Amino acid sequence: MIPADGFIVWSVLAPALTLLGFAGITLLLAVFQSDRGFIAIVALTGVLSAAVFALNLLMQAQGGLAEAGFGLRYLADVPATAFTLVVLVGTALAILVAQGTLGRMGLDHPEYYPLVLLSATGAVVMVSAGDLITLLLGLEIMSLAVYALAAWRTEARQSQEAGLKYFLLGAFASALFIYGIALTYGAGGHFDYAMLMAAFTQPGFEAHVTALLGAVLIIAGLGFKAALVPFHQWAPDVYTGAPTPVTAFMAVVVKAAAFGALLRIASTVFASLEVGALGAVLPGVLSVLVGATLVVGNFGALLQTGVKRMLAYSAVAHAGYLGLAVLAADQAGMAAAAFYLAAYTLMSIGAFAVLSALMDDDDAGDGIERFAGLARTRPWLAAGMAVSLLSLAGIPPLAGFVGKVLVIQAAIATGHAALAVLAIVTSVVAVVYYARVVVAMYLREPSAGTRAPERTTARPLGVALGLAVVGTIVLGLVPGLWYGLVDHGQNLLVFVSLR
Amino acid sequence: MTAVTLVLLPLVVATVLLFAREALVARAIALIGAIATFVTAVLLPGSGAVQVPWIPTFGAFIAFDPGHAGGVLALVASLVMVPTVLWASLRVESNTGRFLAALFAMWSGLMGLFLARDLVLFYVFWEATLIPSLVMLGGWGGAQRRQALLKYLLYAVAGSFAMLLTIAAIKPLAGAESYLFADLLAATVSLDVLTQTWLFAGFALAFAVKLPMFPLHHWLIDFHEQNHPSGAADVAGTLYKVGGFGLFAWALPLLPEGARQAAPLLLALGAFTAVYAAVIATRANHLKRLLAYASLSHMGIVAVGLFGLHLAGLSGAMYLLAAQMVTTGGLFLISGMLHARRGSLDADSYGGIAASAPALAAVTLLVLFASIGVPGLANFPGEFLALLGAFQASTAAGVLAVLAVIAAGVYGVNLYQRLYQGPQPNAVADLRPLEVVVLAPIVAATLWLGLAPAAQLRVFEADAIVTVERIEQAQDGVDAPLVAVGEVRR
Repeated sequence: MIPADGFIVWSVLAPALTLLGFAGITLLLAVFQSDRGFIAIVALTGVLSAAVFALNLLMQAQGGLAEAGFGLRYLADVPATAFTLVVLVGTALAILVAQGTLGRMGLDHPEYYPLVLLSATGAVVMVSAGDLITLLLGLEIMSLAVYALAAWRTEARQSQEAGLKYFLLGAFASALFIYGIALTYGAGGHFDYAMLMAAFTQPGFEAHVTALLGAVLIIAGLGFKAALVPFHQWAPDVYTGAPTPVTAFMAVVVKAAAFGALLRIASTVFASLEVGALGAVLPGVLSVLVGATLVVGNFGALLQTGVKRMLAYSAVAHAGYLGLAVLAADQAGMAAAAFYLAAYTLMSIGAFAVLSALMDDDDAGDGIERFAGLARTRPWLAAGMAVSLLSLAGIPPLAGFVGKVLVIQAAIATGHAALAVLAIVTSVVAVVYYARVVVAMYLREPSAGTRAPERTTARPLGVALGLAVVGTIVLGLVPGLWYGLVDHGQNLLVFVSLR
Repeated sequence: MTAVTLVLLPLVVATVLLFAREALVARAIALIGAIATFVTAVLLPGSGAVQVPWIPTFGAFIAFDPGHAGGVLALVASLVMVPTVLWASLRVESNTGRFLAALFAMWSGLMGLFLARDLVLFYVFWEATLIPSLVMLGGWGGAQRRQALLKYLLYAVAGSFAMLLTIAAIKPLAGAESYLFADLLAATVSLDVLTQTWLFAGFALAFAVKLPMFPLHHWLIDFHEQNHPSGAADVAGTLYKVGGFGLFAWALPLLPEGARQAAPLLLALGAFTAVYAAVIATRANHLKRLLAYASLSHMGIVAVGLFGLHLAGLSGAMYLLAAQMVTTGGLFLISGMLHARRGSLDADSYGGIAASAPALAAVTLLVLFASIGVPGLANFPGEFLALLGAFQASTAAGVLAVLAVIAAGVYGVNLYQRLYQGPQPNAVADLRPLEVVVLAPIVAATLWLGLAPAAQLRVFEADAIVTVERIEQAQDGVDAPLVAVGEVRR
């Protein structure tokens, strides 16, 4: 159904509105209810209801009934709903990890879950935005909540520093982003992607330089959230400083939102700028960023001694692999990225869940010695960690492997063979730092001083880990389950061309 | 469906074994599982192919076909796995169930990679098989196992990722419909020489690591030295040296032009590997290191046969690959039996034990003779044909490879003398009844492969013709028209 301009379709807002509603409910509940477990369950209910709506919209979009509302400013096509689902899965698992850890760490304040839901709302708006202003709104809703979450451990300097650093640099990135929007508007005279595309491809369009400058600034703003080099500087510090459950949330949800938005802009607005003498500028800029991200992320991770910081750099590295999909965004890249992000969400949450279970209450103790001999002392945790890390490393038959093949194939198909080679070479480096942890777990003896503390894993944490690991394996064996749903990424372009 | 059963059955057995806490229960399950899997493997020749869409949008299929070279290798590998499982269940004392589970997981992976007719599926099995072999090395290896494991992992993954890149590139570049062998074969004709060469280089890197071939063989020696002294993990590792198969079944037929560009270099490297490893083997003391070098030398001859790019050499190389699974595998089992007697893998701590263990000596002599290529035994037909192919391509490479065969005679006979002849300081027990059961399939297979090579060779030849014809076609395009391959054959 093709909506007329200005026509309001409320149903497309259902996932975001549900999240927002439940954020309000949990906030109210937090005033009266002292049982945090109950609030977490309400929050989870909200996420799952939103997921049901999103899945419904995805099925509709699959059948060619993609909806859009508010004059194409808010979309519910296949990419939008697919990324929404990824965000929701990440949020749900992150809530479980938090519920299993925060209490022990003395961080279980009632505002935690409303903030997570608000942040997820922003993320959902970002990936559904069909318009730069909507995107900006989503970005700010998401970011403000995450800034607060990063500084969640108010008494710890590291956490405060993480929150402040993230906030200051984030504000800077937002400024760049807004400037980019202004320039793009100046060049194209519109905010929504469809009209911008039409404006940029009109014969006699002159303001190429302005539009490109705007595009580059937009890449910088979103690249910050996505942790693309050189806008990644905050990531290792903030990921390490924030409480581990928050890190898990940031690493998956924020990244999914940033890439969802970036992919859509790349496949529409940027693609329409790839003509004429300056057509190679944007792909060139992106290629350099992606290449640098692959190298810095992977070699950075190789040099780390703490597992949490290693995972932080590995999150940067995975932004590089996702960047390959952005380069191929107008072709198979969209579906590849949707698959990769789903896989990445599951395997990262798996790794962070194990990390949360092992670290001390004050978020110390992520050294690799803590993993020594884990296979003997905590076999299930070790197995879950091993599956997650091997998947992150791209070993078949796990989900990470399929994701890697998809993005590399997309990159090669769009003529970025050199970057594909770089991605493979850096993947070998990645195997080293992931394998180091696995080897420690299975081949080293636990030493008395550094061994993991004896404590039973909280049930929600176990559930999160179990779901993530099973998901990683199932997506690896039967990738079609998810890939078959998301591989209709062209719907958006159908919208645009019909207008 | 036999093919699917053959892949899944060992995996099911492996899963069950993970939960078998009692060693005795694990042994019983392993025995039944091994026999059932072997029976399935025997039913393999002549059974039908399977092809089901797996990831439709991605162009990947679950496709198995036992009618090709991989079918023969799957049968031979299964035949070797049966005694290996038996021996492991007798000799691995700590966590027997888990070790057997890893062995069965490897069995499943090997079957998958031999039978797969879809490139993505092949890759998945290729890589997944790595995990149980790492588990065996890491869990039951010697004191230096951590270093050996990291070295093995790095070599393997570096090679695999090169192949992954090639796989990701080959379909879009060739414009193939899917990753099925048949579709790729039809589409890759359109690739120009430069693209083919690059793609072939990606494959060659991965396969050279797993062949293995100088200078990418370093992992092999530590891998064998550090694995469990029973030798069971070494046998599985020997079966997993599938680089030659990958070249034969995928890289050469799909990218014949690329192969032709790279062949001179790889032919030389193969010949050098054969001689270099054989010479080191004559000087080695540690039994497993010696066997590792001996097997490396055989792999050099496999490479020489393949890169000669002639019909005889190609099918001979595959035959040698199959035969050395039996002979090298058998020798690793025998090394485990010696270790069970004297607790040492040092050749110098033996000597003169033929008098007290005549049956063990006789079996060792037979398998050793087979290994060094004595006519009438397993390795001979393959070795002969591989050398024939090498000579057709380059006399120098052929002569070098023959030198390696001569050196094999030296280290083989020398090894027998050091172990079994000479003064008799210590008596050891002769073969026990269970050990006879373990070695019987090896001896039978040694004779079978030595005396009745025709049927297997026909299968290999039918595959090799595809490669040879494509190379001839390419040459026809460039040079003056030559005699068609078909006529030469007749």
